[in-house]
Amino acid sequence: MPTISIFQKDFCRLVGRDASTSDIEQWMPYVKGEVKDVSQETGEVRVELQDTNRPDLWCVEGIARQIRSVLNKGMPPYSFFSEKRGAKRRIQVAQGMEAVRPFVAGCVSLGYAMTPDGLDQCIQTQEKLADAFGRKRETVSIGLYRASAIAFPVTYGLVKPDEIRFTPLGFEEKMTPQEILTVHPKGLEYGSILAGCERLPLLWDSDGQVLSFPPIINSRELGEVQLGDTDLLVEVTGTDLSMVVLALNIFACNLADRGATIESLDINYPYKTEFGATVKTPLSMNQSQRISIEAIEQALGMPLGSEVIQEALASYGYQVKATRQSVSVTLPAFRNDFMHVMDVAEDVAITRGYESFSPIMPQTFTVGSLSLEEQTSDRIRDLLVGFGFQEIFSNIMASHQELVDRMRIADTEYARLVEVDNVMSQTYACLRPSILPCLLRVEALSPRAFYPHLLFEVGETAQLDLEANVGSRTTLSVAAISANSGANFSEIHSYLDLLMYYMAWPYELEPVTHPSFLEGRVGRIRCEGYAVGYIGEFHPEVLEAWQIDMPTSGFEFEIRKPEA
Amino acid sequence: MNSPNNTDSLHPLEIQVLRELGKYPQPLSDLQLANHTELAPSQVSMAVGWLLTKQLVSLSSETTTTYVSLTSVGAQYHQPNSSPLEWILQTVKSAAHDGSSPTVKDLQGTGKFQPSELSRAIGILKKEGVLQMGAGGVLEITSKDSDTMRDLRSLLNQVQEGARPLDSFASDHQTLLRQYAVKRGNTQEPFRIDDHTERTYVLTDEGRNLLPHLREGAAQEISQLTPELLKDGSWRHVSFRKYSINLRPPRLAVGRRHSYREFLDTVKYKLTSMGFQEMRGELIETEFWDMDALFMPQFHPARAIHDVYFVKNPKMAKKIQEPFLSQVGQVHRDGGTSGSKGWKYEYDPERAKRLVLRSQGTAVSARTLAQNPPVPGKFFSIARCFRYDNVDATHATDFFQVEGIVLGSDINFRTLLGLLQLFATEMAQAKEIRFFPAYFPFTEPSVELHVRHPKLGWMELGGAGLFRSEVTIPLGVTVPVIAWGLGLDRMAMIALGIQDIRDLFTSDLEAVRNMRRHF
Repeated sequence: MPTISIFQKDFCRLVGRDASTSDIEQWMPYVKGEVKDVSQETGEVRVELQDTNRPDLWCVEGIARQIRSVLNKGMPPYSFFSEKRGAKRRIQVAQGMEAVRPFVAGCVSLGYAMTPDGLDQCIQTQEKLADAFGRKRETVSIGLYRASAIAFPVTYGLVKPDEIRFTPLGFEEKMTPQEILTVHPKGLEYGSILAGCERLPLLWDSDGQVLSFPPIINSRELGEVQLGDTDLLVEVTGTDLSMVVLALNIFACNLADRGATIESLDINYPYKTEFGATVKTPLSMNQSQRISIEAIEQALGMPLGSEVIQEALASYGYQVKATRQSVSVTLPAFRNDFMHVMDVAEDVAITRGYESFSPIMPQTFTVGSLSLEEQTSDRIRDLLVGFGFQEIFSNIMASHQELVDRMRIADTEYARLVEVDNVMSQTYACLRPSILPCLLRVEALSPRAFYPHLLFEVGETAQLDLEANVGSRTTLSVAAISANSGANFSEIHSYLDLLMYYMAWPYELEPVTHPSFLEGRVGRIRCEGYAVGYIGEFHPEVLEAWQIDMPTSGFEFEIRKPEA
Repeated sequence: MNSPNNTDSLHPLEIQVLRELGKYPQPLSDLQLANHTELAPSQVSMAVGWLLTKQLVSLSSETTTTYVSLTSVGAQYHQPNSSPLEWILQTVKSAAHDGSSPTVKDLQGTGKFQPSELSRAIGILKKEGVLQMGAGGVLEITSKDSDTMRDLRSLLNQVQEGARPLDSFASDHQTLLRQYAVKRGNTQEPFRIDDHTERTYVLTDEGRNLLPHLREGAAQEISQLTPELLKDGSWRHVSFRKYSINLRPPRLAVGRRHSYREFLDTVKYKLTSMGFQEMRGELIETEFWDMDALFMPQFHPARAIHDVYFVKNPKMAKKIQEPFLSQVGQVHRDGGTSGSKGWKYEYDPERAKRLVLRSQGTAVSARTLAQNPPVPGKFFSIARCFRYDNVDATHATDFFQVEGIVLGSDINFRTLLGLLQLFATEMAQAKEIRFFPAYFPFTEPSVELHVRHPKLGWMELGGAGLFRSEVTIPLGVTVPVIAWGLGLDRMAMIALGIQDIRDLFTSDLEAVRNMRRHF
């Protein structure tokens, strides 16, 4: 979810009316935005945008455009999308680009002299689009240039890494693309996108001047836009043609909203694209959709009628033609998020305001219930609380050291864990196969809490099980420990015995060897169909590893799926 | 009576001490109090300690005196002819009477005294010329008397009557006492010299004022009713001491549910009372059920908001259940039969098998949808979820999500709002609510619910929406479905007085024992 800065004055100019910061806050539902922070001195408003399918809203122009449209009950389409004549300028795509970075789109913006607000916002939009929408420039990256110095046509082609030299932004001297990849900060940051390419993408004009080395860096001569510049070239390159065109459409609309005249570019491909071999950009990609009025009414639970729906959608920026039964809608060209009739239904609800829909209380009768696992776990919890045990509630992720090393089970059959591949911290690298380490952690950290310590937890654990479809099983376990100067096997056995008595689970203890427990003071709990686990006095080496000075005994068993 | 010192709550020992102090105008010492009341010194000091705390008596003077007293060795010496000097002379005398002469070795052989006690005594007697060493080491007595023996006998007799101040003795006797006093490394001595601080006490004004109100017969009061008193009926003849009931009682170690879990228990009972049925799922999920089935495209930035933990071994599930894999893949590619255009990309069925730690409770809902659930149906889960986040005060490594679904042919946007309104009143006792448009990858329309909690003010309580057809149709569900989630952790934290989300799962027993719900 991107968060952007907008400035109140700039915003008001773009909306076309005066607005206080609280007005801005009131309008946020139209753009699924939330005001995070307001600075009264600078007029800066930090806005978080929720909708990841609406990159057109990740800039002040887009937010203002959407709100303007609702307030003015509609907006005229941008004329440059319907320009029929061939473009005056073009970009020629060279052979071989399809294997590296196949698509480019561009337009020229004339007559708007770059203001400080405009430049700041252009840079912010460029970054947000390339970063969040363009997946850190991998699928989409954007460049801005001083158009007056460029001799069209521009070529989008490939060069050898050391074939050409130009001065990149941020540097004084000329460098080859290879040098940029190894030295320039942007080359280091984004170079991996071009990993494995023998030849690298480059934009240059008919005089041989380099525009940029996409998606890495612009040239300093042509690609450093400054305050007051009036003629701009906007170019977008990338790997997905729809996304490349959408990003350009958004940029073109933003500049048009600031007063620029937008002129199209023809992009000539030596290969076929989904929009043909010559693509004139900006390009409206949206086709009209016929949607039944009934479907919208049913979804929203209100008989709004064709007229109301038509008005709402027009207000929200759609081009609309309606009949009594259906409505034909076309999304504006800066959006490309239509997938289903419900998307349109939501826009009707947003335009009319959610508060205009009165809630209907659910009427249907259903029987509520807890799962058998939860019922069993609640019974056990109640019993253990009654026995005097304090319930503990732990995180399920823990460290290998806690779960294995300190339990003295390294390199044994008990040391089988579900581990995380992308470890963030060694403290949380594994899922617990057993709850006892979580209880011992509490004991280790609480020597000053007054004794005795009777602790328990009922909860989920993860058992590695390569037979299972997902390689593991989630099980429900109950674990309890007693830590006090007289803690021993028979004391904890009494508690287990009582628990099993009240659960009516006949059980047996089978003498076994378990590295976590003292030899001869450990048993395997067997309870046909209900439970399986261990009980014993913890081995002094286990207690030492946890730095526990108090004799501690405990038990843990897995609750097998209870029968109804 | 407004005074904090109600005479009823005074201990019988306190009453005895107060009375005793009241009899005399001058201060009394511990010792005097013990003598007058015939209480043990420890009882006196206990009672005086309580009375000082209650400010009924005050300390009058404090003087430190050096006292000489008899040790258990001294008590033995005090018996007739039992000091080493006396015994040696007596033994040698009676042997001579029998015509024999004992050696030093013979004396040691009796084991009556320690060798060091004997050799010191023999040394003194020889020095005084009372004893002589003859041929063959035999001991012989002269006609002289031992001054030391005489002085020691006199001191033993004096001190035996009771501890006496050291400075009440003549200075040469003081020297002798010091020589024969217990020292570090030599405890076999007849005298002990130690400092004793004597404190004297007087009644305070408040203590004096209480005197007329003191109970009679307090000494016969008992504090604890015993089985014996009940069995023989003798409780009828005793009176029970009244307690200071405002003193803090001793702490107990008890069994108790964990406060956060108790909070979640109330949530689950609330939901079942509203007709919701509990669902459960696995901690380890496939990307398919965690994300693909929820129409989150494999490529889209929307997926980045759910950064997940991947499983190390095995990395992949064996298979994804059909027909769901094909149907979900189709809906991603071109919308399939859902009425959607789909995401238009090449869906990767292998990636769907990638194993992750469940990142959202909605995965449990997706699995329920695929199991031909009853219609109408209401379901919930309180599911442990994992996010690839740095752990800090607002991010836990694993946490609970409370979510669920409602299926029904009558479900639409307004019944969705109705359900949220119900949650607002049931879960947050909120009367004022607001709905905001929201975005979730798997619902459309999507709503955020803000409520005015009576204690917390305006807060976001949860999010919800109608599941997209792209979610329901491939899983075989044809009726509309509400998907909802409640964000209750903030409410829980404030109710439990916790600032740091990690403290919900703290391993500090003291903190767990102290945790409680404030509302």
